[in-house]
Amino acid sequence: MLWRAGGGLAGIALAALEARAATNTPRPPHRDFSARAKNIIMVFLPGGISHVDTLDYKPALEKHHGQETRGANTITPFFGRRGTVMKSPFTFRQYGQSGQWVSEILPHLGGVVDDLTFVHSCVARSNAHGPALFQMSTGFIFQGFPSIGSWVSYGLGSENDNLPSFVVLPDRRGLPPCGAALWGNGFLPAAHQGVILGGAEMPIADLAPPAPVSARQQAASYDLLSALNQDHLHHHEGEDALAARIRAYELAARMQLSAPAVTDVSGESEATREMYGLNRPETRDFGWNCLMARRLIEKGVRCIQMYNGGHFGEPRVNWDGHEDLRANHTKNARVLDQPLAALLRDLKQRGLLDETLVVFTTEFGRLPISEGLGEGGRDHNPEGFTSFLAGPGLKKGLRYGATDELGYKAVVNPVTVYDLHATVLQLLGLEHTQLSWYHNGVRRKLTDVHGHVVKDLLA
Amino acid sequence: MQPGAISFLGLAAALLLTAQEEPARKVFWAFRAPAKTTPAAGFAEHPIDAFVLAKLKTKGLAISPRAAGRELTRRLHFDLTGLPPAPADFDTPYEETIKKLLASPRYGERWGRHWLDVVRFGETDGGEHNYERWHAWRYRDYVIGAFKEDKPYPEFIREQIAGDLLEPGNPRMAAATGFLVAGPWDQVSAELNKDKIMVMTARLDELDDMVTTTFHTFQALTVNCARCHNHKFDPIPAKDFYKLTAVFRGVTFGTRTVAPAADVAAYDARVKRLKQELGALQQALGKIENPVLARLQRARYEAFDRARAAEPRRIPLNPVFNRNQFARREAAHWRLAISKVQGKRAKLAEVRLGDAVALRNWTAEAEVKDDAPVYAPLAAPPGAVSEVRWWTDAATAQRDGMPMVYRLEASADGTAWTEICSSLDHIRSLELDLPAVSPVDVAAQLDAASAAERARLLGEMARVNRAIEAEPEPAKVYGAKPATLTSAHLLDRGSVAKPVEEVLPGALTAVSQMPPDFGLTPQSTDRERRLALADWIASPNNPLTARVMVNRVWAYHFGTGLVNTPSDFGVMGDRPSHPELLDWLAVWFMENGWSVKKLHRLILTSRAYQQSSAVNAEAAAVDSDNRLYWRMTPRRLDAESLRDAMLALSGNLRLEAGGGPSFPLQKRGDRGSYIYKALDNDGPEVWRRAVYRFVVRGGERIMMDSFDCPDPAVASPQRTVSNTAVQALTLFNNQFVLRQSGLLAQRLTREHAADPVAGAYRLLFGRAPRETERRRAETFLRDNSLELYCRVLLNTNEFVYVP
Repeated sequence: MLWRAGGGLAGIALAALEARAATNTPRPPHRDFSARAKNIIMVFLPGGISHVDTLDYKPALEKHHGQETRGANTITPFFGRRGTVMKSPFTFRQYGQSGQWVSEILPHLGGVVDDLTFVHSCVARSNAHGPALFQMSTGFIFQGFPSIGSWVSYGLGSENDNLPSFVVLPDRRGLPPCGAALWGNGFLPAAHQGVILGGAEMPIADLAPPAPVSARQQAASYDLLSALNQDHLHHHEGEDALAARIRAYELAARMQLSAPAVTDVSGESEATREMYGLNRPETRDFGWNCLMARRLIEKGVRCIQMYNGGHFGEPRVNWDGHEDLRANHTKNARVLDQPLAALLRDLKQRGLLDETLVVFTTEFGRLPISEGLGEGGRDHNPEGFTSFLAGPGLKKGLRYGATDELGYKAVVNPVTVYDLHATVLQLLGLEHTQLSWYHNGVRRKLTDVHGHVVKDLLA
Repeated sequence: MQPGAISFLGLAAALLLTAQEEPARKVFWAFRAPAKTTPAAGFAEHPIDAFVLAKLKTKGLAISPRAAGRELTRRLHFDLTGLPPAPADFDTPYEETIKKLLASPRYGERWGRHWLDVVRFGETDGGEHNYERWHAWRYRDYVIGAFKEDKPYPEFIREQIAGDLLEPGNPRMAAATGFLVAGPWDQVSAELNKDKIMVMTARLDELDDMVTTTFHTFQALTVNCARCHNHKFDPIPAKDFYKLTAVFRGVTFGTRTVAPAADVAAYDARVKRLKQELGALQQALGKIENPVLARLQRARYEAFDRARAAEPRRIPLNPVFNRNQFARREAAHWRLAISKVQGKRAKLAEVRLGDAVALRNWTAEAEVKDDAPVYAPLAAPPGAVSEVRWWTDAATAQRDGMPMVYRLEASADGTAWTEICSSLDHIRSLELDLPAVSPVDVAAQLDAASAAERARLLGEMARVNRAIEAEPEPAKVYGAKPATLTSAHLLDRGSVAKPVEEVLPGALTAVSQMPPDFGLTPQSTDRERRLALADWIASPNNPLTARVMVNRVWAYHFGTGLVNTPSDFGVMGDRPSHPELLDWLAVWFMENGWSVKKLHRLILTSRAYQQSSAVNAEAAAVDSDNRLYWRMTPRRLDAESLRDAMLALSGNLRLEAGGGPSFPLQKRGDRGSYIYKALDNDGPEVWRRAVYRFVVRGGERIMMDSFDCPDPAVASPQRTVSNTAVQALTLFNNQFVLRQSGLLAQRLTREHAADPVAGAYRLLFGRAPRETERRRAETFLRDNSLELYCRVLLNTNEFVYVP
């Protein structure tokens, strides 16, 4: 491969290729149009959901409950409070044709396991939230790189001129730790930044003017602006940037009309509302977000980033179950389970799962030992955890990779975050080594210089 | 064309071409010393124009005619100060304008902001905790000052790398090293992580950050690419990278007090005395106010409870978190006696005594009664404590489970219990919804003599408070913080677990003009190390230093650099469009005392800079990107200029220079993760220039973000200029814009009552409205306000683009 060539003569040859490396194009080449996934919904669980208490059943934890980990198997927790092996406070049962074991706190999700592709051997690079959140969101453990949603938006472009191509649905209980940095466009153009879809009253920031400006005044203002800009353009013949800015205002005006149409759910049936949990207080907010995800996909939005869980705070409103894992995960699962399962069912019954990739992930898993002696929490575990995917091009019902007997380390077919990202891009028809952007001396990629597509997941 | 698309055939051809072109020279252009070139004769008087014209001629192109006077005035003002010209400025001759603007403090603010982009200056750590760096602004002020004073560039370099060592005890010099630590910092991995490898990696990341910032900024090289292996493209072996990490081993991220210890002690003593005085006054005031206050407060508590008659009566505790403080106390046994709960049972997520967890996940299913409280035994912490804090599970607490009457008890033997504190004296500031007692109500209840005495005491207290405020706080800076020197090793593939050999401080072997070794030993001090590197970079023999800086200045003036990757002069970067001009400028810069202001004047007096921005279709067909400078590229206002310009036009821009940041932000979350959001509140407190805002990493800054103000997590040698619908929505609908439109309308009504439309055109565009524009204005204003008209003008291309 050319770019692996070292210095010396090859370096000089590259020098002669002039500015090519430093030139960015509005759209990357090499998109595989045969890929069936055209959109992506990413469901992220900040704080680190415990795989061994949800989707990675480890009966050995019961057998070894209360024992210490020793020697080479000694586990170093993030906070240094080493406890003993802790069995899951939850019971598990098998679901579906695939026989996937699912914890009692996720019964609805259990009902759709045959449509999911599980990766039980995910590995992250850091045991601290910040770097791990950044890695899963941007590929890098440092802040400031473009998010996966921005890369996809750059790679695939928009399918809808009236809505942003990358929409973010934060948990109503609060933004995830590290906030907007998780869906930033980094050095990619601002057109690819994640745009937060808020409540029905103001779906997008500054979508409508403040109250005293009436619709009629707003329309008159748009008209005047348009006329003045057209006059100006006549005096600046051939200036593309000016014409482009006029188009941006036209799009903005259309967005002002189309965004509220997305959030207006009055046309949804009672059965749909019930299915997404809109009628129950604990599932109402996340259910609304799940319903929005489906509606945005229907409108041709490329990329949706959802969060189930917010910041740490006091008490924390995410999956970071350091103290009482049972209480934390029970409460969070009640919010997550029904709406997420509803989204997957709904996408399937509407045929949208044939063109939409769903990715369920978190920054890391949790340790099989308790955090401190006799305590009920678990510390961070980047060595092995579970993610799942759903959508076209995947082997449905597959359980790929495995952690060890206790669920500590990925031992069978480890999948790094780079591999996961490479695979996600592949499913969308984007080759991860080709999707790149020159910045400060480096052709940056979501997968940096790493990553292999996990071919075994692909149908 | 994309790199991946380059065929092997193409590579072979390129190799051949290169071999023919440069048979003997294998040294990459950026590593050759700038040649003392001569402008081609016969083209123009101004040396820059001679170079530019000679190059244009090879493509059959020429420079465009000079731009109109009012366009140039606008161009110069935004370029040099980031602010629009006042109507009177349009009459000032061009050269005089240059002189005036370069002397203006606004110039330092504008060009200092460019520098802050390059070094990614931020005032929070970034990442999970994202803590504030309250004293980082001193670096911002240092940078602004350096541009304003026209500090010779080598000094600017040396001070940013080693100012604290050049002049120990000088706060400004220590602040200069804010450069080294301007980027994000992973505080969690550095301070909390218990995993040794992760901690060592985090330290290497810190050093990497300092090396990267230094070399991006001053040398336009990506030396960090050599962390895991020899640089793939540039002649930088991995060993060079680790030698550079050895340079910064004595530095870490953090805040340091830079005032002399004696000053700090004197300050503490003075403030202590004033605080004692304040305490005495407070006590005297309490004697007068407390009885009244207690009576009023009680009445309010009762009214508050009555208002909630439908719910169980309760003391208005915070439903999530409560806290009591008490005199320090040691005891063998502790317990909470809960005698009333809201709902059917008591539930606590966690109780802490001091810092120790005393209880977790406690639920009492039993009925709780006043006469038979439920006891929650607490684990006794070691040593004395003076505080109890408890949390409920917020989600359930909203329905039931929250204690509302409790007391903390201690005992030596476990049988005889003493009450330490109770729900009656919990920290009141945590109460929710509790109506406050206003000072006016208190005053109204006092007799004349007491009221007079109270007024006197309050006056005294205000005086003392002012005296405390007036005490100059000993300077602290967020800058290079001393760290224990440790040895540096070359690492195998960048793994801290695989050291290969020890390395000594040194610089790049590829720069053949300078010795790469500093002649230092493992015992060499932080001072020796950093000064050696500072001198190595700030030397006239360094082939990169002057070139990189002149190219940056050029790029900000023209929109494109001669090398259009200003922080990357490596193989992956751009090649100079005008190599001879770049070299000439670099040599000129060094020969003219490395004066940035002289460099500005040189560039601004060229015809190349003063040419019109009109499109010339023929030239555009040959050179659509205008890399040859056949016209001036029109430019959209950047986020800061746009915001500052709106404030300037509405007459509300506050021009106080320097000092701590004053922009309020909403900060959400607690212990663990902070989320910052720019507040919508619009008022004089946010009407300073945008360069003085509190620069948060990873915050939500709707307006700044959509106009491409970079998040300081990432270095931005050039800003992207995007054009999005979200940007249009922001500028059209944002509350700030509407508010400034209103204030601009008021100003027009005040100053141009006879013809506000003409006034607006003169203020915004420096010209009179055309006939069509007048007609459009009249039609619009028939049904709409002047405020909405101003909003439209602030959204026009003519305002947002500088010709």
